[in-house]
Parts: sequence; C-alpha cells; structure tokens
Amino acid sequence: MNSPDVRIEVSKLCRSFGKHAVLRDVDWTIAAGSVVGLLGTNGSGKTTLIQCLLGLLKADSGLVLIDGENAWDLSARTKARIGYVDQRPKFYPWMNGADLLKYVGAMYPHWNAGLCAEYARQWDVPLFKPFGKLSPGEQQKIAILTALGNEPDLLILDEPVSSLDPLARRAFLRSLLEIARDENRTILFSTHITSDVERVASHVAFLHDGRIQWFDELDVTKERIRRLRFRSKRNFPASFSIPGALHIQVDGSLVVASVAAASEADIEAVCARYDAAVEVEELNLEEIFLELHHVDA
Amino acid sequence: MQSSELSFSISPSSGVPIYRQIIDQVNALVVSGRLKPGDALPSIRKLAESLEVNMMTISKAYARLEVDGVLTRVRGVGMVVAEPDIPTAASVKERQAELRPLIEQAVLRGLQLNLSNPQIIAVVESILRENRNE
Repeated sequence: MNSPDVRIEVSKLCRSFGKHAVLRDVDWTIAAGSVVGLLGTNGSGKTTLIQCLLGLLKADSGLVLIDGENAWDLSARTKARIGYVDQRPKFYPWMNGADLLKYVGAMYPHWNAGLCAEYARQWDVPLFKPFGKLSPGEQQKIAILTALGNEPDLLILDEPVSSLDPLARRAFLRSLLEIARDENRTILFSTHITSDVERVASHVAFLHDGRIQWFDELDVTKERIRRLRFRSKRNFPASFSIPGALHIQVDGSLVVASVAAASEADIEAVCARYDAAVEVEELNLEEIFLELHHVDA
Repeated sequence: MQSSELSFSISPSSGVPIYRQIIDQVNALVVSGRLKPGDALPSIRKLAESLEVNMMTISKAYARLEVDGVLTRVRGVGMVVAEPDIPTAASVKERQAELRPLIEQAVLRGLQLNLSNPQIIAVVESILRENRNE
C-alpha cells in the first residue's frame, strides 16, 4: 500500500430513475482520513449516491474521482483498497460465514483472516450456519466482515447497522471507532439514525433534494446550526429576518429562528433593533436534521 | 489524583459538541481542586476508548485546553494540569464583564421558569458550594 490516503471528489453528479431526478448536481469533496456520516431521509438518494461513488451505478452526468481515478473505471489496485457493505447483502445462501470469508478473501491480494476471526468473536457472529438461514442482523455482520478483511483504506458502509439490535449496534460502533483510529483511513457510512453518527463521525453530510445540503465537521455543525429565541416587549413584524436563517417563526413578541452560521454581530444587531433579549439553544444532530428538513406545517 | 480515577461523563446526543463537554469537565475538575497542578490526564487513546468516541474529539479538547493554559504537555508523561495562571492582569470589572453573558443566559432562563430572585441566587450559591471546595 504505497499511498494510504484516499480522497473522494464528486463534481456535478446527476442520476435519474425515469423521470425522478435523485441526484442533482452533487458537488462534494471528502478529505482523506475523514469519518463521514451521511444522513438523509428515506428515499433521499443515499444508496444511489454511494453506488455512484463506487462505480456500481453509472451516473447520467458528472464525475466521481477516487484518489484521482474515475470511479466508473477503477483499477484493480484501487478496488483492492476499498471495502463496501451493501444495505441488503446478497451472498450464496448455502455457504456458511467461514466459507464465505475464505471465498471473498481469495479475491484480494491482501486479506487479514485473523482480523475477521477476531471481529467475528467480538460481535458473536455464527460462522458455521448457512448464510441463507441467518437473521438479517447476522447477515449484515458477515457482510461487514467481508468488507474489513482486506483492511481497506476506504470503507463505505450503506446503513451498516440498520438490522442490528442496540447491543450489536454498540459493539459494531466500538469496532468502527477502533478501525477509524488509523488516521489514514477514510470511512463513509450512511444512516438515518443520528445518534450513531454523534459518537463516531468527524464529519457529517446531509443529502437533501438531490444535493449535499450541508457538509462540515460534526463539532462545527453543532456550533453553527442553532436555535435562537428572541423576546421583546413589542411585537415583531412578520417580515422579521436574520442572516443565515433556515427557518423563522414569528409569534407576537417571540421569534424562534433556526440559523446556520449567524454571527454574534448579526444576533446583537437583531437584539438592538427590536430591543429584544436572546436565548441561544444548542441543537443535537437529530434536531439539526429536522431543522435542515424543515417543512412548514 | 490518578488519571484512572477520573470519570468523565459525556452525552453524545447533546447539542454541546463532545470536545466542549470534555473541556468543561476538565475545567470543572481543575477549578474544584480535584485535579491539581502536575496531575496527569489519561492519554488520548485511553480516554477515546473509555468514552467510546473518536480520538480526534479528545485530541481537539486537549489541544484547546493546552492553548487556554489549563493543560501542558510534558515529555514522556503526556498532558498534565498546568500551574495556575490566574489572570490577575485583568481587573475584577473586566473579569466580571467576561462572566456576564454566560450568567445572563442562565438568569433569563430562570425568569422564564418563573423563579424568584432568591430562588435563582440559591442555584448559583449551590453551584459555588459544590465547586469551591474550600
């Protein structure tokens, strides 16, 4: 492995299914070494985006570069550095986990069977039952093992924990943290469970309306997207505005505004203008998710 | 105090970023005297493991605490609590001005919760009692 850092560059990526435009001009750059949580509602196109990133699905237009290589035409050398877990893993149903790992491992120039065995033990994976007889959660665990065996520099997981119970999810996230400890490794995982992202991810991306609506460090995201409550002795005008607002609700002498990156000066200006006091509320990722997808009731 | 006795408690699904929760807790431990100058903190790796969070989160918290002069890096030991550097240069007025916006938020919340002046002050006093450690 001569260049362990994998960087992903997406430019003007479009993909439609029939008349339905799922991805519309996605521009996105993921720096090497990031652990990115990709969030989006059901049907927002997370899986489509991931499959385009890996060259499993051809984009209508636009370009994905993985370490400078076109994703649609990756070299075997680059493919060997990627690990991928499908949302609904499909393997030969008659093969058991141990055989599956041997079978998949044989396709890679580098395979760490000891590591697979160790995680299988930690996650309590039944390795000697046919894949087709396993529960969805057990199947998912085996799929994850097949993606880790080559010790990938780029690990992409599509809803890796969707079928896991809370205990198994916690065990998997703990392992993911261990895997992320190698700072040169780039990890991208999609989920709609915001609490999974909060422990593990260094960065968070929101896919909305076919675009990456927000992408930043998780800490920065929490510091920038906030809810402000302005209270005044007089009523606020319906035309109330503040720079960087995501959503504003005017209710007499109270305004509730969610903002992305309003500066302290902006907030002070509003207070001075309306003779108002402000209360700043920090939001967790779930609340941020809701604010970014705000739909007026 | 042995670093192994330190217990941090973080809430990942809080609006406060995890690295800031750690900063606040280290500050509280130092102010209350439970962490004394020269005491070592757990290594980044150890703390990340025990809290089950990303290592980058811990290193960010430690780096900020180092910049703030709360911690200092000692070769072969890691992060230790720095000798106190009381900002005596600033007058009481200036230090109060720094504190004011933080307290203002809390007081506004207290008024909103319909608490009386003595009731609000009682909360401040109980926090002082818990942390002064005199």
